[in-house]
Amino acid sequence: MAATTEERAAAGSVEILQPPRRPFQIGLAVRYAVLIGTIILTLFPLVWLVITSLRVQSDIFAVPVHIIPTSVTWRQYVNVFTQYNLAGYLWNTVIVSLATVVCVTVLAVPCAYAMARFRLPGHRVIVTLLLIMRMIPVVALAIPLFAVFASIGILDTLTSLILAHTAAKLPVAIWLLIGFVQDVPKEIEESAAMDGAGTLRTLVQIVTPLIAPGLGASAVITFLFTWNDLLIALTLASSENAQTLPVGLTNFVSQYGVDWGAMSAAGVLMVIPTLIFVWFAQGLLVKGLDGFDDRNARVSFSFETRRPH
Amino acid sequence: MADAAVALDPPGGRPQRKLLTSVSTGYLLAGPALLVMIAIFVYPLGYSFVMSFFRWDLSAPSAPFIGLNNYKETFASPLFQQSLRNQLIFTAATIAIEVSAGMGVAVLINGKMRGLRVARTLLLIPPMIAPAVVGLNFRWLFNSQYGLIDALLADLHLPAVLWLSDPNWALVSIIIADVWQNAPLMVLLFLAGLQSLPQEPVEAAAVDGASPWQIFWYITLPLMRPIIVVALMLRIIDTFRTFDVVWLMTQGGPGGATSLITVYAYLLAFQGVDFGHAAAVSYIALVISLVLLGVLYGSPWLKER
Repeated sequence: MAATTEERAAAGSVEILQPPRRPFQIGLAVRYAVLIGTIILTLFPLVWLVITSLRVQSDIFAVPVHIIPTSVTWRQYVNVFTQYNLAGYLWNTVIVSLATVVCVTVLAVPCAYAMARFRLPGHRVIVTLLLIMRMIPVVALAIPLFAVFASIGILDTLTSLILAHTAAKLPVAIWLLIGFVQDVPKEIEESAAMDGAGTLRTLVQIVTPLIAPGLGASAVITFLFTWNDLLIALTLASSENAQTLPVGLTNFVSQYGVDWGAMSAAGVLMVIPTLIFVWFAQGLLVKGLDGFDDRNARVSFSFETRRPH
Repeated sequence: MADAAVALDPPGGRPQRKLLTSVSTGYLLAGPALLVMIAIFVYPLGYSFVMSFFRWDLSAPSAPFIGLNNYKETFASPLFQQSLRNQLIFTAATIAIEVSAGMGVAVLINGKMRGLRVARTLLLIPPMIAPAVVGLNFRWLFNSQYGLIDALLADLHLPAVLWLSDPNWALVSIIIADVWQNAPLMVLLFLAGLQSLPQEPVEAAAVDGASPWQIFWYITLPLMRPIIVVALMLRIIDTFRTFDVVWLMTQGGPGGATSLITVYAYLLAFQGVDFGHAAAVSYIALVISLVLLGVLYGSPWLKER
């Protein structure tokens, strides 16, 4: 290293003449081709979904496939509300997702604060358990939850979904928030304590505003994970009382075949809020990407936050 | 409130008492979340672990203890063996493709390029949308009569493929859908990693006349090791949880050709009403993924750094 630094110093004048960045001299054209190709591959399937949702029925079942629609219609979007119970699925999904965000936030913030700031006996065990809980396949939880909720008679209710999602999303949220609390300088809390603020007041009035980006990240993730979930809702909700949008998608497959137009419209409607969330949370997410650091566990979880499940 | 006592303790107060109060305050704060997780997460999991040693059928009045029979029968079941094989193929193939393609794209588009910022936003979309929608969308794309992909193949004068109904192609279709959804995440992860790397070694090697490939292979890749390990761990955990895409595309069919472990467990429990076996399968899946993570974590490749 030392030698190369000297060499660089010696070669300083040469560097001015030659482009200093030789490492990535692969033709810029190739790199732009890769960038554009990646964007096209990323977007095309979604664009196709939107196109399908806007086609007339005869166009959907045209052989050979028309790439460009012959005419555009909103009928599929009307159909999903009139012929299918999309409004019901939508309502259930919104209620469950929002209620889960509220429950998870209220429970996770004090827990993360306690984990980060109090040397609790068993602290390490709890933190390790949170990690392991994150790894457990959802189906392993869904199977016994079905039995437990059946025995207390709350199957097929929104309550059962909110409870299940709250428990399932808490480990990730707590883990994420612990990192944010740890980044708050301890001195701030200590001076608050000096001024006579109690623990609860310090948490609510001092710490919570300081970890606002973390709260935002945890809320967005929890919302998206819950919004996107299929398995828990499929397991616990057996009727339109509690079925959510992802379960609703499976209901477009009937014995007569798949209603592709309606299903695509429902899929597009389901993705729109997600896109809006990605758009508004993006500053936060990209900031997280730029502020990448080497603390493995932390990094893995801040990345985990970007995965819907 | 009890917590007020802690904070009001003067800095010179008796340390032992302060510790004690602070511990109880800590548990008061952490308690509600811990209780919820114990009641709705840990307890059901423990319950299903215990019940994996019983003949657990919700419709039967009693569940007799049968020891390890659920596990033995599971391992002997051809459908389980098929699901396990599918799972391992799916995990290996998706991870190999996503990590290598993600790294390749990230290295190529890293640097000052127009549109990179937009690309990063767009790349966030596939990993963030519901896997159920991804499954539905690819089921439509792979449709053998009206699907776009077979139409494009026909334009290229290639034979049509029965993507979802041919057992040999069905798993490939699932893998393609998963790669579409998760490879962008790998690109973003590696892009962020590349931007956090020190520039000195790369520049020094360039001055010394190393080729771009040599720089990538001998400098960038070793420096990226910790990030690659994080990526591998995330993907191992996630592939063993994959359910939604498969459920929307094939429901595990045809003939179990796309049955992954979670799909198999779900079908056992909610179509076979055989909770005992399903619980055993979900624990086997957890143990296998933990073993894979352990092997990765203990590998000498990771330790070199």
